[in-house]
Amino acid sequence: MSKWIPLWLHKLGSPPTFYRFAGAVRPWAMGLALLAGAIGLYGGLVLAPADYQQGDAYRIIFIHVPSAWMSMFVYAVMGVSGFMALVWRMKLAEVVAMESAPIGAAFTFITLVTGSLWGKPMWGTWWTWDARLTSELVLLFLYLGVIGLYHAFEDRRQGARAASFLAIIGVINVPIVHYSVVWWNTLHQGSTVNVFGHSKMAWDMLWPLLVMTLATKAYYAASLCRRARTDLLALEGGKDWVRQIAEAEATP
Amino acid sequence: MTAATSVPLLEAHRLSFHRQDEPVFAPLDFRLNAGELALVEGDNGSGKTTLLRLLAGLLHASEGRLLWRGAPWQRDACAGEILFLGHQLGQKLELGPRENLVFATGLHGRRDDITVDAVLDEVGLAGYGDEPLRRLSAGQKKRAALARLLLQPAALWLLDEPYANLDRHGIALVNRLLERHVAAGGAVLVSSHGAVGFHGGEPQRIRMHA
Amino acid sequence: MSRASLPRACAAMLRRDLLLAWRRRGDLAMPVLYAVIVVVLFPFALGPDLALLQRIAGGVVLVTVLLAMLLALDAMFASDIEDGSLEQLVLAPQPLALMLGMKILAHWLATALPLVVIAPLLAGMLHLPTTAIPALLLALLLATPLLSLLGAVLVALTAGTRRSGMLLALMLLPLCVPVVIFAAGAVAAAQEGLPWFAPVAWLGAALILCVVLAPLACAAALRIALDA
Repeated sequence: MSKWIPLWLHKLGSPPTFYRFAGAVRPWAMGLALLAGAIGLYGGLVLAPADYQQGDAYRIIFIHVPSAWMSMFVYAVMGVSGFMALVWRMKLAEVVAMESAPIGAAFTFITLVTGSLWGKPMWGTWWTWDARLTSELVLLFLYLGVIGLYHAFEDRRQGARAASFLAIIGVINVPIVHYSVVWWNTLHQGSTVNVFGHSKMAWDMLWPLLVMTLATKAYYAASLCRRARTDLLALEGGKDWVRQIAEAEATP
Repeated sequence: MTAATSVPLLEAHRLSFHRQDEPVFAPLDFRLNAGELALVEGDNGSGKTTLLRLLAGLLHASEGRLLWRGAPWQRDACAGEILFLGHQLGQKLELGPRENLVFATGLHGRRDDITVDAVLDEVGLAGYGDEPLRRLSAGQKKRAALARLLLQPAALWLLDEPYANLDRHGIALVNRLLERHVAAGGAVLVSSHGAVGFHGGEPQRIRMHA
Repeated sequence: MSRASLPRACAAMLRRDLLLAWRRRGDLAMPVLYAVIVVVLFPFALGPDLALLQRIAGGVVLVTVLLAMLLALDAMFASDIEDGSLEQLVLAPQPLALMLGMKILAHWLATALPLVVIAPLLAGMLHLPTTAIPALLLALLLATPLLSLLGAVLVALTAGTRRSGMLLALMLLPLCVPVVIFAAGAVAAAQEGLPWFAPVAWLGAALILCVVLAPLACAAALRIALDA
């Protein structure tokens, strides 16, 4: 088993294999995302009881919290695949890192917007310099920096490597930013409400949240598969396997 | 030099470089011994500059093998042994030829048998040593860069279009430098689409095809 | 034939960059002028209310210095890339990280040190209490080299691109957030008469770490950005 896992990974790392693999995975992942999303939203918006303090306003967490988790998860994926891209010069790792960035940025943006919408009824203001929200804002800038750097290069592979390097610097930077922002918050006596105030979440609130998390993960997988496939076709434009696909699709 | 003659200084097997997965030039095979000069020939866009930058270590070969003194090319192994002179001269316009030379020797080391003044004299910049480069002509800037060839110790010279911008005397100067370096057991790779008046034997020719 | 020794190479690098900075000394005055202009604009925008200016002085001076540094950061490798000096540096038989460290040091001496020197003047214009000046100076002396080092890595990453100052600002923002927080924290604490050693110590620790790691990262970034 210890032998065939690296072999399998090595095979999957080759663009044509991954292209087929991603093509097979994508519809299933998308289906799962839609199904879990529908169930999770129904559970969260309809079945779950209203909060005794916040009323119905809290229901935004069924979007906000999974997005926040995904914003960090995608960043981690980007960092790890960026590392692989730099160390082993793997084309697929470059593609995964660079195609993850816009998805992660979108999740971060959703987190910020929903956090802000939630903040209005909770704190009476659209924006508060809460440690979590501030860290999330910095995370958005990190994502934008990676995307911007990637597109600043004329050579896409070189841009991917440079942006991967920036993503790795960001991986080190994110915890530092978070802890310094927490310290800054206590220094300026900001008495912010803890957004995760519920020490024990009721089960009928928790399960929709978990299902929504599954839905966002599946959506990320589906979206990544689709983007990576497009990108691989563009990157490998001159190769035989791309030509075969093009010919196969031209003659239905 | 007895050992060096048996093992080629630089050897390339099926060497090629890809940009965006497109090969910049067709796979190349050549070997360059100490005391040899090779001309890299090809039309514009055939990858001459890319080849020289690749051999200097500024780019990574996409395919093929590159050997330095019989061993796989490594940055540390040939550090200080290769002198690369490209289109961009690597000279600071705010500094004079002398200051530029002194900096280059600080970085790359220097020969002991020749002084900076003698070098400047040789390349025809006597009296211009302290004039900021931006006030000199293109040909004089080129000469200031060529001065490094005399002062810096290196076994292999990689010269990209060394004749560009030079007048008749400048071209003669380059040929003189090439002959002297080859006679002293050095090796040179020169890219040029112009004629090279090299009198130290028939040079090897490396044809580049896109 | 003498090989270039490491100390001689370092000295040559430092001397050349400082000499270049001196020859272009007109450019050096620009960040300083920019900082003065920004600080002068604040009282016009906010009104010359002493208490208000006092309260924001430390933060304004810090952010102004940071922005002025950002202005000069872009030029760290620009001319070297343009004229091919950077290629020669990469090819030199010297450790690239160390040479870049020297370049960063020269850049800091030429662009950031003048800003630190005029910082007390800027602080004075905004009525920062004199008791907070030592904290401000110490925080700046630690924070500016930190920003130079972090900035150098990012500038190296953009070395192969069409130059874009906005991109650099975007990339630098997440990295400089902790630096600004700790530096401003020290000044704010000193202003309130509280002990301000802890944030300064954090800055110092970060600086030591960056002095070691940033030149290495800078060299790696440069090799990525130039390899095409």
